[in-house]
Amino acid sequence: MSPELRRRETISGYLFLLPSLIFFIGFVVVPMVMCVVTSFFDANMDLNTPDKFIWFNNYIELWQDPVFLKALKNTFIIVVVSVPFTCIFSLWVASAIYKMREGLLSFFRIVFYLPVVTGSVAVTVVWKWMYNNYYGIFNYLLKNTGVISKNINWLGNPQYALWCIILILLTTSVGQPIVLYVSALSNVDNSLVEAAEVDGATNMQVFWRIKWPQIMPTTLYILIITTINSFQCFALIQLLTSGGPNYATETVMYYIYYTAFKLYRFGYGNAMGVILAIFIGILSAVQFRLAREK
Amino acid sequence: MSKDNGSSVVYKIFSFVVLIVLAFLFIFPLYWIITGMFKPPAAINSPTPQWWPHEFTMRNITELFSRRTAPLFGEIALRVPGAIRWMVNTVFMAVMAMILTCITAAMAGYALAKKRFIGRTLLFSLIVAAMALPKQVILVPLVREISALGLYDNIWAVILPTVGWPFGVFLMKQFSEGIPGEMIEAARIDGASELGTFTNVVVPMIKPGIGALAIFTFINSWNDYFLQLIMLTSNSNLTISLGIATMQAENSTDFGLIMAGAALAAVPIIIVFLLFQKYFTKGITMGAVKG
Amino acid sequence: MKKVLSIALALLLVLGLTAVAKPASADATEITLWTYPIGNWGNEEVVKALTDAFTAETGIAVKVEYLTYADGDDKVNTALTAKKGPDLLMEGPERLVSNWGVNGYMVNIADLFDDQDKAEINAAALAACFADPDTAYEYPLCMTAHCMAVNLNALKEAGADQFVNAETHTWTTEQFFNAVNALAAQYGLVGGIYCSGQGGDQGTRALVNNLYGGTFTNAEHTAYTWDDAKNIQALKALYDLEGIEYDPSINGGEEIANFYNGIFKMAFCWNIAQQLNPNSAGTGAGKTANGDDILFMAFPSEDGNANLQGGIWGFGIVNNGDDAKIEAAKKFIQYMADSEHTYDAVRASNFFAARSAVAGNPLDVWSDNEIMAEYTKLMPFLGDYYQVTKGWAPARTAWWNMLQQVGASDGSEDAIAAAVATYCAQANEGAK
Repeated sequence: MSPELRRRETISGYLFLLPSLIFFIGFVVVPMVMCVVTSFFDANMDLNTPDKFIWFNNYIELWQDPVFLKALKNTFIIVVVSVPFTCIFSLWVASAIYKMREGLLSFFRIVFYLPVVTGSVAVTVVWKWMYNNYYGIFNYLLKNTGVISKNINWLGNPQYALWCIILILLTTSVGQPIVLYVSALSNVDNSLVEAAEVDGATNMQVFWRIKWPQIMPTTLYILIITTINSFQCFALIQLLTSGGPNYATETVMYYIYYTAFKLYRFGYGNAMGVILAIFIGILSAVQFRLAREK
Repeated sequence: MSKDNGSSVVYKIFSFVVLIVLAFLFIFPLYWIITGMFKPPAAINSPTPQWWPHEFTMRNITELFSRRTAPLFGEIALRVPGAIRWMVNTVFMAVMAMILTCITAAMAGYALAKKRFIGRTLLFSLIVAAMALPKQVILVPLVREISALGLYDNIWAVILPTVGWPFGVFLMKQFSEGIPGEMIEAARIDGASELGTFTNVVVPMIKPGIGALAIFTFINSWNDYFLQLIMLTSNSNLTISLGIATMQAENSTDFGLIMAGAALAAVPIIIVFLLFQKYFTKGITMGAVKG
Repeated sequence: MKKVLSIALALLLVLGLTAVAKPASADATEITLWTYPIGNWGNEEVVKALTDAFTAETGIAVKVEYLTYADGDDKVNTALTAKKGPDLLMEGPERLVSNWGVNGYMVNIADLFDDQDKAEINAAALAACFADPDTAYEYPLCMTAHCMAVNLNALKEAGADQFVNAETHTWTTEQFFNAVNALAAQYGLVGGIYCSGQGGDQGTRALVNNLYGGTFTNAEHTAYTWDDAKNIQALKALYDLEGIEYDPSINGGEEIANFYNGIFKMAFCWNIAQQLNPNSAGTGAGKTANGDDILFMAFPSEDGNANLQGGIWGFGIVNNGDDAKIEAAKKFIQYMADSEHTYDAVRASNFFAARSAVAGNPLDVWSDNEIMAEYTKLMPFLGDYYQVTKGWAPARTAWWNMLQQVGASDGSEDAIAAAVATYCAQANEGAK
């Protein structure tokens, strides 16, 4: 490429990027830089005392804060449980429905996509009632079928609360992966499958040897979007448990909000944000490295 | 399929039954919202669930529409029930975010995919790194920045950060990779301007991708409760999600009213979804295959 | 089709731009008021009548936003962070004075109190509105004592009405335990110590403190003392009490809903506004959804003389740096809380007036209302208003978390004492 062309390409490239960059830099990069800067200050809501520069004190305190460690652990659990489970569940549903006739297929596709479009707030309203300790449907059904004798306080019990949240998260995130898997599975080269069957391969063998490698790119894509999705799990927690009981559903995302607007510690909250951003950055890098290799 | 034997038939029946049960579970919240909208308050809170309303009442709906009024749009004189105004805000927000994201992301994605310029790899890595970043991370700086721009408690405060989110650029870059370089080269030789090449050659080729992105952005922005929560405060500036959440906080005793609100939030977008279902699934799939 | 669509989009864009172009009105003749749902101060119709009358007299327009206890604090905090707070806030000193006031967001309105005002306003309310002798961040309008409530029909059904004194509305700790036991034998579930957070903490605080005479703060309001042994004893007694459960899945509002719906037979988050409020089932004031009678009661204590938690509400001015608006807001406060219109403003709150007289004329707001007259029996039990202790907002959060941990613990005295110690220390951290 001639230097002249290269120069022209650079200029036009940046001109095309400009509108997007204005938004990206303005509303993602700049706040992120401000976030890093404030994380070194003892910034709070008090207007009478100026923010003090305190080096890494916020970061040091984080590792001694049991609530933050718990939140980190819960965030980790949510991601580690919901991501693989979403993938497996949607792969199973997709393989069960992709050969059905068109009407039935689109019925199931719509059904599993419904919670996504219904919106997390509207869905949460109903789930809150379903989990209710006193008149919720789960307790009603379980009690009437004799599975339990005493009401279970689903959202009020530290043992169950996080799993209740994860269950809702799952129902609101499998819609897209199912659609994706259905189309990936129908695009699998059928001649290979038939050849293998003639050779006497079992269904399992056909799946692992032929179909699985072909749907691998879809799987990686699903892994990435599901990971993004599970980190966005805020509304459920804010509307259902506010991080309780006893921090059982506290996630880093909610704890940042809580630290800022309930404890008024902006600097501390920002330090948490920086740590979370670093974790997510590492995770994304790993996932993209994987995707690139395949 | 000569290999169909007894056990696989049993498995097929079993999986069908499981699917039906799951389908019930997934439809249930929506079913409950819509039937709940017509139930009297006592029926909703009853310890024995009423699977179907014993008596139908319009009370919840009238109650929803008789609450605090607001101008239909901006500060115009025509006043409507608050819930209608929330709906107007929400549609406006989602449509604006969608249009702006599609335009900016298509241009940026094309540049990243097809232009060779200095800083390209670095920029793309930055975009990928920021993609999974939850907005909570930049909560306080974002609120301060929006406020400095004079946009706090304004619907644009929710639109602009959504447009800044880099997922769209990533998606459009993946799509643009598929455009044959020769076509762009040919357009250039024919003397087309940069912008002309983009609108006449590139855009038609990545149209399905733009469609997919439009759908994504619309739904994401509609459901982005967090951003709405921290940016909007006045009753007349709320979105429908935020409106229901506020109503729930205010009237925790009145579940019927909340159900009516939830129905108002859910039904329009579900109708849109059902109407465009085909494009929807196509768009989603395209995004992944290219991605 | 395409043309129509693009025209529609263009139209939307233009509309949107007009929305953004609309400048925040710099006109001093409009002020904004954010109010928490204090009786009917959360009801648009009632408030509009009051503000319209004010506008007619002064020419100052008032834009009102209605907050809720569940998300109001978050809204105000974000707005203040964004430096886009309202001009006027209506709430109690625990927020206006000890939180936003001492953090520097409010205007000192000490000049609104002349000697006559100071003489007419209830001493406890007056003290709570001042951060120090020369600095006031709130002008009080109305006040009450928070109490609890029992379902009288259920009580009779369980043969437990002998344990309550429906005349004086008081009972002892022992009578309370007996009543709960009788109700538990009859119904299983009696009530819940709600602790999911947000508002209504006054109920759980008063219950725990009164049972064995514990305290929440020291007398000087400089430190939190809820780690004393009497409170631990009370928390343990409640944990062991059959029929009462610590429930971190509900908040105060949901507790009231459960009480209205007959699921709970007792409510700890109660006050006179609740008693006067006809519920959504339409059975009338002072009744549950199926028509049972509601009896309001003081919190139980060993000698039957409770220390009730006071509720004080009034107005504060947010410092937005606009003198004209501050002046207009001051006019609003004087109109509502210190003029002949105070009668209507107090009446709207469903609470008692914070002052005995306005400009020397007696202010007798509720003489015509039987329920209110009955409720005045509880007013002498009004206890120390300690909600002005420094670091109140984080302390309240710590209180919720403490209750949640107690509820999740095995109920041993050690476990409860440990939870109390942890969170009380956290509260005291904020009081420094």
